[in-house]
This record gives sequence, structure tokens and C-alpha cells, in this order.
Amino acid sequence: MYTVIIQQALNALQLGAIYALIALGYSMVYGIIRLINFAHGDIFMVGAYIGLGVALFLKPPFLVLVLVTMGLTALLGVTIERVAYRRLRHAQRMSAVITALGVGIFLENFVRAAISANPQAYPVLIAPRTLSLSGVSTTNVQLMVIGVSIALMLVLRYIIRQTMLGKAMRAVSDNKEVVPLMGINLNLIVSATFALGSALAAAGGIFYGQAYPMIDPYMGIVIGWKAFISAVMGGIGQVDGAMLGGFILGTVEVIGATFRSTLRDGIAFAILILVLLIKPTGLLGRPVTKKV
Amino acid sequence: MKLLEFLDVEVAYGAIVALQGVSFQVEEGEIVTLLGANGAGKSTTLRTISGLLPLRRGEVRLGGVDLRKLPAHEIVARGIAHVPEGRGIFANLTVQENLELATWTRKDKAQVAADFRYVYELFPRLGERRRQLGGTLSGGEQQMLAVARALMTRGRVMLLDEPSMGLSPLLVKEIFRTIGEINARGTTILLVEQNAHMALKIAHRGYVLETGRVVLAGTAAELAADPRVKEAYLGG
Repeated sequence: MYTVIIQQALNALQLGAIYALIALGYSMVYGIIRLINFAHGDIFMVGAYIGLGVALFLKPPFLVLVLVTMGLTALLGVTIERVAYRRLRHAQRMSAVITALGVGIFLENFVRAAISANPQAYPVLIAPRTLSLSGVSTTNVQLMVIGVSIALMLVLRYIIRQTMLGKAMRAVSDNKEVVPLMGINLNLIVSATFALGSALAAAGGIFYGQAYPMIDPYMGIVIGWKAFISAVMGGIGQVDGAMLGGFILGTVEVIGATFRSTLRDGIAFAILILVLLIKPTGLLGRPVTKKV
Repeated sequence: MKLLEFLDVEVAYGAIVALQGVSFQVEEGEIVTLLGANGAGKSTTLRTISGLLPLRRGEVRLGGVDLRKLPAHEIVARGIAHVPEGRGIFANLTVQENLELATWTRKDKAQVAADFRYVYELFPRLGERRRQLGGTLSGGEQQMLAVARALMTRGRVMLLDEPSMGLSPLLVKEIFRTIGEINARGTTILLVEQNAHMALKIAHRGYVLETGRVVLAGTAAELAADPRVKEAYLGG
């Protein structure tokens, strides 16, 4: 019995890690400019395709591939913000949200036109080996996805807590108007946020391709929604919340699927609604208080 | 020497003209105060200097350098330190982190370290609370943090927007004493205040704004003795 539990826990961690990597981008961008970047799921999808391209053309070692893909996808995120969102920063909230939806549809159709609407098999980047330890069987791929994801999240957490960039990001989230008075270029911080969020989504895309080896131009929609749910459930704007939300959702889905796989998504959304009914700001969301 | 010049400036929020050709100047080493009722254009003036608001006409110069075309974050690097209305501290950052951010543009590591020591000496209460979140500070401490943060940018001119707002008389006194100290150490000060009594006590010169125009100017003593100022701002 307990071997099943451990095995399912590893499955949950793997799925949760991918949700968490994507959820972080939703959460950070929202925290900084109060925009729900609905194109973010599609950035994840493009990240997976960029990883595929890098793998086919450059054939670098795995970690190099991850880093190069993260860098390229970061550029994509920065460009999207610069071209599509920056001018709308002071416009009505709804205009930016609609634009984000539009950017997402653009990305889906761009990939569809440029590559193919058909699912692509993801190249095997790490030769899979089955490992079994006292009855629990797992693969090196699964352990790698979990390990590298957690490492990336720890790096992000360090950046946000300890570095000047991270402090500036938190300051923007607190009081955007005052940030320029510190001599800080607000646009630079927003760009950096999009870069970080997109890079993490790209890592999620590669890991997704390794773990569930098909990708298609529309895969960012459902996975993006679920990552968004994770971010909201954890408390959108909170980095730790996004991670927690991702792992909770991964766990819920794995448990749900062991009972009845068709109920998986229904259970996930039901839990979101329940969490928000009980705690509208999300699990780790701060209540809105301001001292005047 | 003229350090800050504000020449015939017009600023509008949409159709509403907030400053209608305001001119004044601040000499190096001075404390100059802008007095006036709510809506006279005092905060607008400060926000225009630091580049938060665009001007429609006129000039703003710091040490002869035109500030008009510069974005707000570059104006800070040129030497304007702005303590905004309502303090604007970062509530979810610690006291120390609030101060660190103000050194964003600075490369002089050794001087930054010295400035941290100076600021914590000037405001021992902030030193005691350096690991505390800004939002947990009292109103007076938040005001101190806002001033300390402006000091950390090493501006040549400090713009203070209503530093006494919402503070007890005792704290107001303390803040004004500190402003005097900062000025004595060589920082030029442009002070916007509702508390005309305190402002005129500390300032060298002042200007009175009314609905976006300068209606009176003079030394602090002249303004304090002016019957119009007495009646409107000093309670008769």
C-alpha cells in the first residue's frame, strides 16, 4: 500500500512542479502590474517548442538546453510586454486582459501555421531509466523534473528575497508610484519580471515534453488555466502561494485520477471554488490592509 | 548660487490647469517653503520637479541642467530626493530594504555604508526596527523612514511634501528639528507644508501659492509678518 502512495506522491510532485513553474509567472506579473497575463499558458507552449527546436538543431547537453530555452523564452516574454502591454499600463484593466487573450491566440496560431497543428513527439533528452527502490518504481526523468523544478524555484525565491532586483520587484508590487523616486526604472523591473516568469514557464514546457511526451499548439490552454488556478488558489501575487497552489493541484489531480480519471478536472475546479469561498485572497494571500 | 529653478511652469490634468505659470527658485543651502491651501498646486509643483507629471510650458533646471526631458528615475540620479505626500514607504519591505532600494543608482559602496550609519544615527528608532516591515511602523516612524530613504539617494535638493501630516505635535517638532539638521549638513530643502507656522520658523524664504499661481514671495520673516499670510495660514 505505502509503495503506491509514494509512487503517486512522486507523480503528484512531477505534475505539481510543472503547474507551479507556470503559476509563478501568472503570480509575479499580477503582483507587479495587476495584469492577468492570459497569454502565459501559451508562452509555456512556445517555450516547449523552442526547447524542441534547440534540441533538434543544437543538441546541447540537457542543462544547457534548459538554460538556452529559458533565455530565448524570456526574450519572448519581454517582447510581448514591450509590444502589447506597456502602452496599456494606464488603460482600463479590461483592455489589457483582452489584449493578453489576443496575444495568446496569436501565439497558438503562429505555432500552428509555422510548425503544425498536429501533436509533435518530444525528443528524448535524457535516456529514460527505470529505478526501483524497495518496491517503488520511478524514472530518472521524473526525479530530474522534480529536482530541477525545485532548484529553479529556490533560485527564484532567493532572487526575490535577497537581491536588489527582487527587492525592487516587491517594491513595485507594494507602491508602484514611488518606485521611480528611488531612481529605479519601473520598465526595467517589469521587463525583468516577464523575463523570469517566461523563463520558468519554458522550463515547465521542456519538463512537460519529457514527462508527457507529446506537445501541440493548444496545450497551453488547459495547462495554463490550471496553473492560473494554482496561482489564485495559493494567493495571486504571492510567489510561495503559486508554488503551494501548483503542488496542491498536482496532488488533487493525481488522487482524483486514481479514483476516476474523467472527474480529474472537475475536482480541480471544485477545489478552487471552495478555497476562494473560504479565503477569497487565496491560501497565502494577504488581506488588504493599508496604514495611512 | 541658484540650484533649483522653476520658470513659468504650466501643468494641467486634462482640462484642469493646476499650475498657471509658476516661477520660483531655490539657492544652494536654503530651506524654501511653499505655502498654500489644499489644491493650490504645492504637491503638483513637487511632482513636476521629480518628473512624475509632464509640464505644458516652462522650464525646470537643477544646477543649470534641464530636467524636463528626463524620466523620473533619472532625475533622482541627478540629485532630486523626493519625500512624497503620504510617505509612500514600501509596507512589505523591511526598513533596511526600503533604504537599500534608495541606493539603486549609487556606485559609491563605501559612501553608501557611511550613509547607512549616518541615517541610523539620525533616526535611532529606525535602527532598532531595521528588520521590521515598513507597514508595521507607526506614522511618525514611517515619516522618518521616508526622509531617511530620501537621504540615501544622496540628493542635492530634498523635496518634502507635508512631512507633518497626521503626526502629533511632539513628532512634528522632531521631524522639523531633523529637517534643520539635514539642511545644516548641506542638503538644500524645498518644503511643502500645511503647517505654515512650523514651516516659516525653519525656512529661509517662502512662496505662497493660490490656485496655481504665486501670489506672495519673501523671506520667512516677511511672510510671517504679512497680514494676508497671518490671516489665511497662521490663524489670525
